[in-house]
Amino acid sequence: MDASLQSARLEKARAALAGVQLRVGTSRSATGAECWDAPVLPLAPALSDALPTGLRRGQVVAVKGSTSLVLALVAEASREGSWGAMIGMPSVGVVAAARRGIELARLALVPHPGAQAPAVAGACVDGMDVVVLGPRLALTDADRRRLAARARERGSVIISAGEWSGAHSTLTVVENSWRGLGAGDGRLRARDMLVEVTSRAGGQARRVALTLDADSTPGRRREVRAGAAQVIEGAA
Amino acid sequence: MTIVATTRRAVLWVPDWPVVAAAAEAGLSPSAPAAVLHGRGMIAVSASARTAGVRRGQRKRLAQRACPDITILPYDEARDARAFEAIAAAAEEVVAGVEISRPGMLMIPSDGAARFHGSEEALAEALVSAVAELAGCESAVGAADGLLAAVLAARASVLIPAGESAEFLAPHPIDTLTLAAMERTKREAVEDLVSVLTRLGIDTLGVFTALPFPDVLARFGPVGAWAHRIARGEDVAPPVLRRAEEDIAVEYIFEEPAQNSEQLIPVARLLAERLDAALLAAGMRCGKVRIVAGTEKGQHLERVWRTDVGARAGAFASHMADRVRWQLEGWLSSTTEGPERAGLSSLGVVAEDVVPLGSEQSYLWGGISGADSRAQRTVERLQGLLGPDGVLAVREQGGRSPRERVLALPWGQEAAESRPLAHPWPGGIPDPAPATVLTTPAPVQVLDAGGTPVSVDRRLAISAPPTWVRLEAESTDERARAANRHPASGHVGTVKGPVWDRPRPVDSWAGPWPIAQRWWSPDASRGAYLQVSLSGVDGRGDQAVLVAFRGGEWQLEAMYD
Repeated sequence: MDASLQSARLEKARAALAGVQLRVGTSRSATGAECWDAPVLPLAPALSDALPTGLRRGQVVAVKGSTSLVLALVAEASREGSWGAMIGMPSVGVVAAARRGIELARLALVPHPGAQAPAVAGACVDGMDVVVLGPRLALTDADRRRLAARARERGSVIISAGEWSGAHSTLTVVENSWRGLGAGDGRLRARDMLVEVTSRAGGQARRVALTLDADSTPGRRREVRAGAAQVIEGAA
Repeated sequence: MTIVATTRRAVLWVPDWPVVAAAAEAGLSPSAPAAVLHGRGMIAVSASARTAGVRRGQRKRLAQRACPDITILPYDEARDARAFEAIAAAAEEVVAGVEISRPGMLMIPSDGAARFHGSEEALAEALVSAVAELAGCESAVGAADGLLAAVLAARASVLIPAGESAEFLAPHPIDTLTLAAMERTKREAVEDLVSVLTRLGIDTLGVFTALPFPDVLARFGPVGAWAHRIARGEDVAPPVLRRAEEDIAVEYIFEEPAQNSEQLIPVARLLAERLDAALLAAGMRCGKVRIVAGTEKGQHLERVWRTDVGARAGAFASHMADRVRWQLEGWLSSTTEGPERAGLSSLGVVAEDVVPLGSEQSYLWGGISGADSRAQRTVERLQGLLGPDGVLAVREQGGRSPRERVLALPWGQEAAESRPLAHPWPGGIPDPAPATVLTTPAPVQVLDAGGTPVSVDRRLAISAPPTWVRLEAESTDERARAANRHPASGHVGTVKGPVWDRPRPVDSWAGPWPIAQRWWSPDASRGAYLQVSLSGVDGRGDQAVLVAFRGGEWQLEAMYD
């Protein structure tokens, strides 16, 4: 009787621990090596080469040099029902965000948080799934570390438009070229991007070629999604 | 078509209602000749104009020839409906419930009301005198069985005894059928039917009702069946009475106009609590709250806020108090836009979209999820931190330039108006949409090969192909600052104006695309847009930008980054 009760309690405690591990994202495999299996937010398939681990909950992704890439990272998660906040990005193109698939009804914009930036970012990390932080926020390095820890605990994703020391992945746009313009004629049609991906876990930086904004028929509204991607391993 | 019992009803009819309402609004005397023009013809003519020979449907020129001193008034459906509320309120002094069939005509089931007043004659007299006294307007009352007979009786000011409607209707011309059609679409269908019947030689209601009902249904469909029943003096639907139900609203009148927000905060809380109590007492909850304030200068300010999604929480009062307080602070501190600054003399809160407790519409796929309510709470917390304008909800709207295509509002506030997205907006900047749209345009230099600024003339000819573009240097760029301070840059003494970055060569460009719009309104804009792709320098990649030429200056509008 006593033994069965004890085993039932042990079973319960193990289940609770497993739940916590699933939420926080750490669990030890049989070999004892730490592995990461936090739940993943959906990501556009074309970006999966740039971020092979996916948009893991609790991680920080830094994007340097392209607002479009930030929007493309958020888009699929937002379409699938996640809430998002953009803090300190007063000039983000809302139409571009909607075209990439971000659900505007689930997007809150805090254009000028000012001195309240740490509090605002903290509240958003607590309550939203994806938090995009602009490049010119009044955040100290200590604030950033605290935010990252909070995101890891709450399971939200921080995407920083700009430098973030200690980000899990950093995407830097190295080359960016537009097609479609002539000398006084044409219009912007397609864009090729070369993105350098560095990971906190180390390893060689990879360069990934992306085609965002593949051509859409003129005059017709169509969603422009991230197009084909091609991986060039070992460059740089 | 469902069978309903024929109701005996009294009809109160105000002749030429659109003219009466328009003349009252324009301050004309009821006896002055006037007519209301809609589209190409007159839709209503006053009695004195009619004696002068002006008819419904006449063109403006013919009407003015028949009666040179006629006043032509504009058509406004909303004004007609609004002004008719006074008549309905006057009639409700006499009877308990009325149906407003259309502006100009009321219906009352006469059985009970006639019994109360003694007879139908007494009821008619009471109605006419109430409307004349309280609303200052002549009217006619008639009573009969069935819809059409009652309408015609009112036009003739007679009371048709019960059971004699069919005989009363029979000699009337067939085009009186249109009087029983209350909505515009229905009236158009009936007018078509009447014109066919007239061409078939059926010119009175009596001849029409002599046709067998199945044949009419087979030949003319539902409209024919409706007309046949109506012409026989029957009803197709019972009168829908409006209940005189009051809005749930609370108001506070200041003894002395309130000038600062400290005076208003307790009032805001008090009003919110009272509205909460009133809603609770009525067993209702509301989807929106309208905040109405009157200033001492007689202006009215109002704004609608959405109340919380989700169940009615106990925090409603404090939640609404915050909204009211934000609104008032905004109004009291507004200096540039909106009404001129003045103290508030009254403050009211009105509940809108009122539904009984427990019958709220939930989402299609069940209630709101945990994540949704968590995010809502987060946004509310942010609004508490930053104020209402700190958190924006954005929506796409129609427009041509990238900046116009966004509608940003404080989170939770209802949009006043939005440019429809479905309209075509010809001449807009083509897709893809830029990922960065500057909230205020930044200065930029567009230079030709020799370094002279490029210009676009009135005929959209560009003076030279753009070859170099100088953007503003970033504030952290010390090199550009130092170069700007150097005497070689042409400055002597203190440096004013923007600090330019190094010129960047133009790789390719398109344009100029003119956007000249709304010249008639204060937000008129006129400019020529250019998409420019810049080659990378100093290790920076290519960059595509959208620049606009306005009033002789180039401005950076957006970046495709």
